[in-house]
Order: sequence, then structure tokens, then C-alpha cells
Amino acid sequence: MQRWLQGALFFGASVVALLFLALPVIAIFTRVPPGRLVHLLSNPVVRDALVVSLKSTAIAEALILLFGTPLAYLLATRRFHGRALLITIVELPLVLPPAVAGIGLFAAFGRSGLFGSTLDALGLDIPFTLTAVVLAITLVASPLYVRTAIAAFEAVDRDLVAASRTLGAGPARTFFRVAFPLAGGGLAAGAALAFARALGEFGATIMFAGSLRGVTQTLPLAIYEQFSLDFDTAIAMGALLVVVSLALLLSLKLALSWQPSRQTSASLSAPSS
Amino acid sequence: MKRAICVIALVALLVTGVASARESSSLTVFAAASLSDAFPKIAPHATYSFAGSNTLAAQIRQGAPADVFASANMTLPNGLYKDHFCSKPVVFTRNRLVVIVPRSNPANVHTVYDLRRSGVKIVIAAQGVPVGSYTLQVLKNMNLTSVLSNVVSRESDVREVLAKVALNEADAGFVYSTDAKTVPGKVRVLRIPAWAQPKAQYGICIVSASAHKAAARAFVKRVMSKAGQKVLVRYGFLPRVKKG
Repeated sequence: MQRWLQGALFFGASVVALLFLALPVIAIFTRVPPGRLVHLLSNPVVRDALVVSLKSTAIAEALILLFGTPLAYLLATRRFHGRALLITIVELPLVLPPAVAGIGLFAAFGRSGLFGSTLDALGLDIPFTLTAVVLAITLVASPLYVRTAIAAFEAVDRDLVAASRTLGAGPARTFFRVAFPLAGGGLAAGAALAFARALGEFGATIMFAGSLRGVTQTLPLAIYEQFSLDFDTAIAMGALLVVVSLALLLSLKLALSWQPSRQTSASLSAPSS
Repeated sequence: MKRAICVIALVALLVTGVASARESSSLTVFAAASLSDAFPKIAPHATYSFAGSNTLAAQIRQGAPADVFASANMTLPNGLYKDHFCSKPVVFTRNRLVVIVPRSNPANVHTVYDLRRSGVKIVIAAQGVPVGSYTLQVLKNMNLTSVLSNVVSRESDVREVLAKVALNEADAGFVYSTDAKTVPGKVRVLRIPAWAQPKAQYGICIVSASAHKAAARAFVKRVMSKAGQKVLVRYGFLPRVKKG
């Protein structure tokens, strides 16, 4: 009796949790026939927003990988005083309300911000430009990548790295031939997470970059604007983002199920050319 | 077994708590962002949600628990009335538009016509927001639609426009004269001639789904009363009926 009840409780709670998570997404699709999704792409507002979103997210993603990977590698492989503090700084934007991120970007890169006069002297005016969108989404999305990348690099077998070094490979060669391929699955997962977060960013973007069609209006901002103008278009755009996010998540699963050990043992045993 | 009962009791408590959260407040007023300062002075005990009128109207259409809707135009409440979401709206005040520039005036804007100069960063409200369509009317009236090519952002309500100019991040913006008054040290005001002003009438109505109809009616009465009108005028709003 007791065991039966416990089982029922767990089952019941799981069903509630699953339904709650799935319902909003399912509800979107009950209001958007699939044909409308294709038709939606002919709407210039949606097309412009999609272009701005993809452009800014692609640039942000490149920046995150380029600067985040070395940072994650150093934080994962070196032990030094203040390391925990640095990791906390990296993780902070993850828990920061996006509106605070937006205010912070103004305080740093706005016209009357910390670097305002410097940027002005260089002829750079960042707020309300695509650069502002890129900065906002990079700030909010990069912790997801760096955190995952740190974990991935930490999981790399130290003996393999040490072996590479004793066999005469320099730090750079060791990174590119040993650590990077071994951490590949985790890095790809982090990259996909950051991409999804960047694509969905709203709060910091609308504050720091404003919203102008074809310039700074990303898909989430366009959804917000359409919400009060044309609910059907807003919900159809929501469906579009669900599809994109789902595709990202699936590729993330694929990246994670990719077996680095098998791959690398094969490549390690292969004769080096 | 005891633990299981505890869990069930806790869940039941949570569910009823969430379900009843909506009933706890007394009167909820959805009002245009431009009323953020004046309305709490008229009725301090109501719960307010200030945003772009268009956002509020869309929320009411989705069943938001509002009792009163106070919009910065007549179009939105009339639309709600037509679709049976609220009572027939009445005009309760009026407003006029101004151009604001940051106190330091980085782009040297001294008249509305200076906004045509290339490189002036202008922030306006989005088209669906009442002040956004009023802005377009002013520009059309003054034959200045070319100014739109200098617009760098279309914000979701008038206070966002105000904030971005007051922060010195934009060179100029179109807001109500009442908004400009709330940040006196931070912005300079450029007048827009009377002949170019739009008919900026504010409409108020009682939401059909309201569970507090009597309190809602009392609120509207209070806004329309001499005392209510006096507060609005003190904040720079115009009397609801044009004199003369």
C-alpha cells in the first residue's frame, strides 16, 4: 500500500512537471497551422528580424568561441589563487537579470559610460547599432559556453596531456592535437547552448540596442512588438523560434553522444602524417 | 505514509495558493506609461500596471485581470469596446507632444527642423504605441517625414523614449510634455507648434471581465471629478474638454 502510494506520487508529480513544460510549446502549435510557418517567411517584418537575429548570433558565437575557448582552457588547466573568483565572474552574467546586463552595458559602453569618451574619440557610437546587439547577446550567452567548456577541458585525461608534453609537443600543439579534440563533444554542446541563449536574448538587447526593424530588431524583439499589433504573427514567430531551438537542441544531443574516446583513440593510434 | 500525506498536503496548499493569488488584490488599473506619476496621486491604493497602451490592450484581450483601462488614445479602448472587452470609453484628459534633447544637447538640436540633419540619433515610440502614431502625425503635419531616416530605435512605450534621451544615449526623442516634466534637469524641451499637434485624447473604460465593477466605476468617477482633473492638470495634462 505504502509502496503503491509512493509510486503513484512520483508518477503523478512527473506527469504534472512534463505537462507543464510541454504545454506552452504544444499550445503555440495548436494555434499555428504548419502551412503558416512557411507563409510567415514572406512577411518582411519576420524576414528582417530573422536576418538580424542570425547575423548577430553568428557574430556573437564566433566571438564567444574565439575568446571563450582559451579562457576556459586556462581556467580548467591552471590552479592559482583567485581562480574561483574568476570562474564566479565568468558565471555571473548567467544569473544576472538581463535588464541589469543592459544597464551595465550602458554604464560601460554608452555615450556617458565609462568608455564613452574613448569610444567617441574613436568615432564609435555603440548603442542602437548591430554592434550593441552583438555585445548584449555575447555578454548574456558566453557564460553558458565557457562553463561547459571548463568542464569539458577538466574531463580530459591529464595523463594524455602530460604524455603529449613529454613526447615533445609544445603547449599549442598539445592543445590543438590532444585537449581540443578530446573536449570536442563538450565544447560543441556549450556552443549550441550559447547559440540558443543568444538567439533568445531579449532584455539586455531591447535596453542597450533598442528596436529598429532591419537594424537591431531581433526575432524576440519583433515578437514583443507584434504581440500588441498582430497576435497571430507573434505566435507564428514564436513557433519559428521553437523549431529553430528544437533543431539546436537535437544537434546538441548529437554532439554529446559523439564519443570522443573512440574518435581520439582511433586518431591517436593512427600514424601521424 | 506520514511523509506522503505531508507531501500531498503541501502540494494542495501550493496549488490553492497559486490559484487564489489572482483574487487577493483589490482594484487593478492598466494605464498608459505617461500616467505613471499622476494616477497614483489620484488613487494611491489601486494596483497599477503601467506600460504602452497597446501592450496593455493586448494583455486585456488575452484575459489579463484588469479592472480599468486608461489608454493614451481612443483607438485602443474603442477597439476593445467594439469586441466587448470593455465599456464604452470616455475622454478623461488630453496631452500634447514635445521634442526633448539631452541637457548637453550633443547634436545641437534647437528646433524641430534640426531633426532633419543627418547623423542626429532620434528615438521614437513604435507605431502601435499611441505616442508613436502621434509622432508620425506630427511629422506628417510638418512635412518632416524625412526625419524618420534618423530614427535609431522604436521603443515600446513613451517612458523608454524619455529614459534614452535623459541618459544622453540618444540625441532627441518625441514624448508628451507631461513626461518631459518628470526629468527637468536632464532634458531640454523643444515645442511643437499648436497647428501640428495631434488630437491626443486619453480614453478610460471598465474592463468587462472585471470582478470589481463598483470599485472600477468609483475609480473612473474619481479621475473625472474636479479633484482628479486638478491632479492631472498639475502634472501638465490638458483638461478633458477643450476650452472655447
